[in-house]
Amino acid sequence: MVGLIKRNLRLQFNSFGGVSLSLMGAIISFVLYLVFLRQSIASGLSRVPDLKQILDPWLMGGTLTITAITTTANSLGQMVKDRDNGALRDLLLTRPSYYHIQGAYVLSTILIGIVMQGLVMTFMSLYFSLMDAMTFRLDWVLPILIVMILSSVVWTTVNMLLLSFINNVDSLSKFNSIIGTAAGFFACVYMPIGLIPTSAQWLIEFTPAPYNAALFRQILLKDPLNNSFKNATPAVLNDFKESMGIGININGLTTVYSNILLLVGFTMITIIAILIVTNILKRGVLKRH
Amino acid sequence: MHFFEAIHLTKKFNDKEIVKNVNLHVEKGQFIAFLGPNGAGKSTTVEMLIGLLTPTIGEISLEGIKVNSEKFRNKIGVVFQDSLLDRDLTVMENLKTRANLYQNFDSEYFNQIIIKLELEAILKQQYGVLSGGQRRRVDIARALIHQPELLFLDEPSTGLDIQTRNKIWQVLNEIRKTKQLTIILTTHYLEEVEYADYVYVLDHGEIIAENTLDNLKKEYAHDQLIIHFKGSSKFCDLIERNNQQIGQDLKLITNSNIEAINILDDLKNEISSFEMRPGSVNDIFLELTGKEIR
Ligand SMILES: Nc1ncnc2c1ncn2[C@@H]1O[C@H](COP(=O)(O)OP(=O)(O)O)[C@@H](O)[C@H]1O
Ligand SMILES: [Mg+2]
Repeated sequence: MVGLIKRNLRLQFNSFGGVSLSLMGAIISFVLYLVFLRQSIASGLSRVPDLKQILDPWLMGGTLTITAITTTANSLGQMVKDRDNGALRDLLLTRPSYYHIQGAYVLSTILIGIVMQGLVMTFMSLYFSLMDAMTFRLDWVLPILIVMILSSVVWTTVNMLLLSFINNVDSLSKFNSIIGTAAGFFACVYMPIGLIPTSAQWLIEFTPAPYNAALFRQILLKDPLNNSFKNATPAVLNDFKESMGIGININGLTTVYSNILLLVGFTMITIIAILIVTNILKRGVLKRH
Repeated sequence: MHFFEAIHLTKKFNDKEIVKNVNLHVEKGQFIAFLGPNGAGKSTTVEMLIGLLTPTIGEISLEGIKVNSEKFRNKIGVVFQDSLLDRDLTVMENLKTRANLYQNFDSEYFNQIIIKLELEAILKQQYGVLSGGQRRRVDIARALIHQPELLFLDEPSTGLDIQTRNKIWQVLNEIRKTKQLTIILTTHYLEEVEYADYVYVLDHGEIIAENTLDNLKKEYAHDQLIIHFKGSSKFCDLIERNNQQIGQDLKLITNSNIEAINILDDLKNEISSFEMRPGSVNDIFLELTGKEIR
């Protein structure tokens, strides 16, 4: 299994193009933010003091979520490629069994998701610390790392479910571009969730994305929010959190713990769905040309 | 017990029988050939024999080990009809990553294989950019990397130049001698079958003949004597024996060299030249199916 994971990682990081393409969603959200999103969001929130200290980590939370979604999708695409181009048939002749091979795709994808989120986090922290004097807090490191692992696991399973409907490399690249575009909306980065029409909000709330982003934001924004809203009433703070997706309104705003529980729940349901789907589809995995 | 055997192997796709009741017995060290035209079901048979395709009916075992077990996979090596290694990795990376997926990896043997197949020069090149012949040599190295006892080759030399083909067979024959490697080959190249100990002729998923090459030749491929005469003489008695006269040429099916020598001796004054064409695998196929193999 370790040998398979090494192979998958090598294939991922061997092609610089593939890796940077999988970060496209994150890069777009970051650039859009710098170019105009920051100003347009800020213009609606002019009464909030120290807004920059809030908006920069807020963007980081969303961008990390996008990164988790797109990099796991891209990495797990190796599974579809191997199925389509026959490499799976060669791998099936080796010592690891089919289940080990599938497990290796999952584990290497989880690992890649974590590493890529780590890279994006490092880059953005450095950028915002240098350019906006954002305060990087050491006590972020451990909780953020845990959330990165959790989001990598969640999105690996979700993508595993989605990719079990994808059979060939052509549909795979379409899938990846759709995911890359959709991730920004689902993580509510291009537009804060409060500004999105309710029907679309409702759809978004059926995916793990807003809870994932909310969880990152809750950790990153703990101190900045306390600072900026120290003179405001709890109701005002609550409204701000809800409209910015720092907590999602389902019978009250989700907290750090309810977000974690929701993400774990999504993972479990997705795993059950994967088991059902693979049993129904039972598609020949050994396509030959 | 046979070293490797398959009994009543049958595969249906959508109720259509692609492979029909194939029975196969292989002894250790043997070189077995499956000869058949495109679409005969050779690859489908191989996929079942190596455990990638579940037969509709049939049993396969290697020294009593069931197909698809880890032990079974460890004992077989496969060169697929299409090249399946990772195009984005180099030759070395491909071989190393595959070697890591086996238990019995011997680096000395690994180096030997690389030298024998003349891969040193291309070790750092990407597999995807190699020529067909280079890629095939890498495929063979990949199949041998864990020192399998039984090697499957599915049309390994289709589209290869003659040098590569010779190189490949030189290496395989050497390993066959030193390690008692057993080989199961599918091909529609008639030349390749000439080395085989035992031949199965496959058409429309069925084994239509099986025997040693010599016996198949004896039964289905007859030697031909072609005589070119000086004048426009007619040889009624010879033509009556169902031979063909084309202009001044006479084609005779002969049963033995002595018979041919006698005929030539009888006619020695009329002959301007002659040619003896030994029976070939192509004749076997033509005789059995009524069509050329390619
Ligand atoms: N998965 C499949 N489903 C349906 N038909 C198949 C499948 N695989 C192979 N066949 C058919 O089986 C026949 C034999 O194919 P194959 O084993 O590849 O022949 P060969 O290797 O001798 O050229 C072909 O007619 C092919 O179309
Ligand atoms: Mg074939």
